[in-house]
Amino acid sequence: MKGKKRGEQAEELNLVPIMNLVTILIPFLLMAAQFVSYAVIDSTLPAIGPPVPVEEEPDEKPLNLSVMITDEGFTVSGNHPELESEGGGDEGEEKGATIECLIPGCTFDRAAGETAEAAYDVRALRDMLGRIKDDKPEEKNVILVPESDLPYEVLVMTMDATREDPDAGGTTDADAFCNGRCLFPFVVIAGGVQGGGEGGE
Amino acid sequence: MPGKKTRRDVAEGGLTITSLMDAMTIILCFLLKSYEASDVTVVASDDLQIPSSSALVDIKKSVALVVSQKGILVEGEPAVAVEEVVDDDGNVTYQVAESEKKGQLITELYDMLLDKAEEQKEIAASTGLAEAEFKGEILLQCDRQLPFSLIREVMYTAGQAQFGSFRFVVVKTNG
Repeated sequence: MKGKKRGEQAEELNLVPIMNLVTILIPFLLMAAQFVSYAVIDSTLPAIGPPVPVEEEPDEKPLNLSVMITDEGFTVSGNHPELESEGGGDEGEEKGATIECLIPGCTFDRAAGETAEAAYDVRALRDMLGRIKDDKPEEKNVILVPESDLPYEVLVMTMDATREDPDAGGTTDADAFCNGRCLFPFVVIAGGVQGGGEGGE
Repeated sequence: MPGKKTRRDVAEGGLTITSLMDAMTIILCFLLKSYEASDVTVVASDDLQIPSSSALVDIKKSVALVVSQKGILVEGEPAVAVEEVVDDDGNVTYQVAESEKKGQLITELYDMLLDKAEEQKEIAASTGLAEAEFKGEILLQCDRQLPFSLIREVMYTAGQAQFGSFRFVVVKTNG
């Protein structure tokens, strides 16, 4: 018995093949590993956009919410009392409510590490859209009208702001693609403020 | 006797790799867990900095269209170059050369996308699978600094080539 035990001790586990395997696997997995995770924001062309899933009452006008993004800030327009109150008094012309930039001209120095959130008043936009959503909880569509020279990151930031309000608790939508409160998740991008207004297509 | 002495010497002076093996096993487990066999590859570089967003919708396989500061690529194949233009005020903007366009339509990109659409339709017809059905979906990977005018031209061209459902790729900020 004693002799057998001594024999077992003498036999050492040969770890060299497994070490080889592990040393090859680690660099391979390190190269293939994705430490940044990606997501997508869906949008469609206006012509084939998702239909409004509610049956509107005949005498009720559709909301037609649109957010114009320019170097002066956001201009929100649509068939809602809050948006018409700041319309400037011109009858027959919807001007909408303007949310001014935090920095004049909405400029931000990317090289200095500033983000678009520092230039645009996203909080005010979310609050305004939240109030509109309170009145029209069934509405889900928003039309974004960006200026021609607007950087793409500002467009993405605005899409985030119109889709959801992470600071407002709980989701009001059964769809699980909102952080916090769902505002207007279906985004349609229209042609732009300058350059002929092609209407997205 | 001399043999026994040698073996003890070797055992005493041998390399202890148990702790190294432990560390490597942990690293291996971590890497295997974080390894995602994604069929969509996003190669970020200086010319293609994807903006970040709080969006939660997962990325799905579609026709990949990359719009970087240097050029436009369809499924990794270069379609057209993007020019960097500095105006009198020193502002940098990006555009496709007028010679490559017909109005808003980027002609070379249109041809390539049309081929992709036909290809996808043929695959759908030959396999008959519901997943292969052509839905006109396109994955747009755009650099965050690009002006909307360029994105609009790309979207217009894609729309003309039957790709009407856009999926803007963004970097997830929360997990």
